[in-house]
Amino acid sequence: MIEVENLVKRYGEVTAVNGISFTAEPGQVTGFLGPNGAGKTTTMRILTGYMPPSDGSARVAGFDVFEKSLEVRRRVGYLPENVPLYRDLTAHGYLTYLGEIRGVRNAGRRADDVLMRVGLGSRSRSRIRTLSKGMRQRVGLASALLHNPPVLILDEPTIGLDPLQVLELRELVADLGRDHTVLFSTHILSEAEQVCDKVVIINGGTIIAQGAPSALRASLERGGRILIRAGASAAVLRDVIAAVPGVGSVTVGMDGVIAVPASAEDDPRPRIARAVLDKGWNLTEIRPLAINLEDIFLEVTRQQAAANPTEAAPSEEES
Amino acid sequence: MTDSTRSLSSKIDQTDIDQVVTTGMAFPFWTVFKREFSAYFRSPVAYFIAFAVLLLLGVLFNGYVTFAVQSGNQPADSTTIPGLLVFLMFLIAPLLTMRLIAEESREGTLEVLMTLPMGEGQFIFGKFLAAWGYYTVLLLLTVVFHLLLTTIGVPDLGAAFGSYLGAWLYGGAVLAVSMIWSAVTEDQVVAAFLSAATILVLYLAEIAASWVAGQGSVAGVADFVRELGLQAHYNVTLARGIIRAEDVLYFVFLIVGALFITTRIVEIRRWRA
Repeated sequence: MIEVENLVKRYGEVTAVNGISFTAEPGQVTGFLGPNGAGKTTTMRILTGYMPPSDGSARVAGFDVFEKSLEVRRRVGYLPENVPLYRDLTAHGYLTYLGEIRGVRNAGRRADDVLMRVGLGSRSRSRIRTLSKGMRQRVGLASALLHNPPVLILDEPTIGLDPLQVLELRELVADLGRDHTVLFSTHILSEAEQVCDKVVIINGGTIIAQGAPSALRASLERGGRILIRAGASAAVLRDVIAAVPGVGSVTVGMDGVIAVPASAEDDPRPRIARAVLDKGWNLTEIRPLAINLEDIFLEVTRQQAAANPTEAAPSEEES
Repeated sequence: MTDSTRSLSSKIDQTDIDQVVTTGMAFPFWTVFKREFSAYFRSPVAYFIAFAVLLLLGVLFNGYVTFAVQSGNQPADSTTIPGLLVFLMFLIAPLLTMRLIAEESREGTLEVLMTLPMGEGQFIFGKFLAAWGYYTVLLLLTVVFHLLLTTIGVPDLGAAFGSYLGAWLYGGAVLAVSMIWSAVTEDQVVAAFLSAATILVLYLAEIAASWVAGQGSVAGVADFVRELGLQAHYNVTLARGIIRAEDVLYFVFLIVGALFITTRIVEIRRWRA
């Protein structure tokens, strides 16, 4: 269980995290979604007791991250971004070292157990410097599982992995989510959709949306661009669709036309379909254009800037 | 790997959580010490230091013995070697301590360690003990020169004991001070340079004191400056077998103070990271 309340982190003049609140429930994977510099790593570092918040509070497994930092650290498995490891040690040696510091009983045997579980049993005696990026990522994950913590915090665990490894890792995270509280960060929207029961979207240090991924996607796609392909020339099609009520603007592109609804509240797709069919053309395709995270952030920051011209959303680099 | 991920998920269940009980062992510094101490013996730098130091001391010792035998009226003095080692500390200590914290902070492993249930103090203490431990081994190796002297003369055992005890404490203090800079910067070269400079300043306080005295300042100021330095607590007392509480305390306070400062720096840097 992770409870975050009005968390603020300032680095001098820069506010990296600006009053965010969310919870991550046990037995669920909570995705922490945002572009680089959104404040994800900063938030996770606060949650793992690495740094104190400037304001607000956070509780992990029932303990305040600042007041009871050591209690929190006992109950959290953390995989930092870039997975720092001792390259001169073997995977087994590294995990044994961390296990002994944590006071895990039979740290050496436990290290073998977790390495087996992340599929590295055969390479456990190899020096970490000889392991591939994907294997190192798994060593890092093993270190987070070492003491079998109720809470797992994984910072961009899929970054730098090849597609197959990404799939395996997502599967693993989803599995772990069944009996752990998992908070994992990513900047890939589809990844969050696949793995998470809940996503928290953060940008410029503030939460811009949170909820179940499917609901979020639906609400974000509402009012988004629609691609229409039909058995007519693009120019003719454009004029017909432009005349449909509720359609804002229409452009030609992507082997068809792209329509933007006039209002987010009103979905013109049924009327567009009818208009095309009424002309006697074949309607090949009508679908919302896939929204990627970058689009969403551009859109949201544009809205924020428009609503509040003096306070355009900042997006400082994370340290 | 798909199979292994399945087994991972199926195995991590409630019973498993009960199985992995931490002992709550309260001495993570010992684990840190063991790793760092053994790391010295896996790094070429440590062997290079030992080789260079022992070679240099051996050559100087040989010259000293030859001279003593030829002149025929030199005492067999076991304090020469620890005295030289202590002087060389401005070169040795930075090399031993520069990577201790700087490397962890540059590699990011500090973030891993500082999210373990371990206080900074334990971490810093473990690191320090490792450096001091390595130095202790080096110092013990130089006891061979004392043993050689006993075969050709009768060295003063009291002076020998005092000077080795002094060199041991001196080394600990200098290593602790030197470690501060490894916490301040991620750059090992900068850390080593600043450490060497700091140690030289502490070493040369003697000279500063005589300069202050020469300026005809208020009585006591020169003595104060002198007492701040390393030499005042070693050369004229411990190195001659005079074990005074104030000298031992000076080195102990230096160790404790420097470790405290290092701990605070690591903490502050983490908080602002």
